Amino acid sequence: MRKPIVLLTALLFLAAAGARAQKLESQPGYVPIEELGLFPADKLSVEINIDGPLLRMVAAATKREDPGFSAVLAGLKSIKVQVFPLKGVDADVIKTKIGRSAHWLEDRGWVSMLKVRDQGKETFIYLKQAGDRIDGLTLLSFNPEEEAVVINIVGRIDPAQIGRIGQRLNLPQLKKIPATRKPE
Amino acid sequence: MRSNDEFSCADASDLLEAYLDGDLPPEEADLLREHLGSCAACAAERALAERIQRELRSLPQPDCPPEVIERVVRAGRGEIVPFPSKDRASRPRIAAAAAVLALAVGGGSLFVHFQQQHLQQQRERQVAQATQEARFALAYLGRATHKVGLDVRDEVLQKRLVIPTTRSVSRSLSDLPDEPRKEF
Repeated sequence: MRKPIVLLTALLFLAAAGARAQKLESQPGYVPIEELGLFPADKLSVEINIDGPLLRMVAAATKREDPGFSAVLAGLKSIKVQVFPLKGVDADVIKTKIGRSAHWLEDRGWVSMLKVRDQGKETFIYLKQAGDRIDGLTLLSFNPEEEAVVINIVGRIDPAQIGRIGQRLNLPQLKKIPATRKPE
Repeated sequence: MRSNDEFSCADASDLLEAYLDGDLPPEEADLLREHLGSCAACAAERALAERIQRELRSLPQPDCPPEVIERVVRAGRGEIVPFPSKDRASRPRIAAAAAVLALAVGGGSLFVHFQQQHLQQQRERQVAQATQEARFALAYLGRATHKVGLDVRDEVLQKRLVIPTTRSVSRSLSDLPDEPRKEF
């Protein structure tokens, strides 16, 4: 009697996990960063993977202390960040990969919101739109003296709101975060 | 006093038990003995009664439990003796089982409580870390868009406003006939 229950539980768990993974991957704003193979996974200085349930918990936890931040997160389904330090690395290889990823996004209907190339630095911001609605935002950034960064945000996005909230946050302080959670 | 002629089988049956126990007065005992000598049915009855008495006496005599004797003695003294529980002997076992059950239930509840507390703490830590990570992602986006925005603003101001205005002013000044030419 015990074996079928364990099996059933395992099957339900797998089905739920599969459904969740399927759900996120089927979102129009989702970018499979790992599949793009931009950076070697074991050399990332920061890796962030936060998905739906955890984002909702964070939104709920910060509602009183930071309503703006909470409101931004409440509409999101996933945040992925990879930061790859470029010191002692062949930066040109990464630059090529960043360029290739930008093309990959354009081929899949992502619209370029911002493209800046300045003194070897490159920053691309792409949006996935459905009419007036924005379902995804992807940032590709390359600074040969510092690092390369990719950010993918899935969900209901207001870039102006994200920009406003983001600009008042203190990045250097937050940079202490180590690479902790691996993608689920 | 009854004569032998008045002594019937019913009288014999009534007195037989007392006769066998030796409790009958001698006159009645004589009358009964006389009847038994002349009545075969009552003699057979006597034989049967004697046999039953004999066999009953041959049965093993169980010892009276000391607590019963004590109760009888104390009751004889006029003391009020509470009636002991029938399952007094099994009380320690029941108490032990109850203690084990209480320990199991209590231990289980404590385990569940600590487990829930641990899970709660783990969830709080996870939410706190996810909050930091989400702030980091938004801060990075904010910094990138802000920096790029400033670059764009500076570029636009420089190329489209400052330089043309300077040229225009220079040209205007150079057109003045009596003033020496000034370059900005």
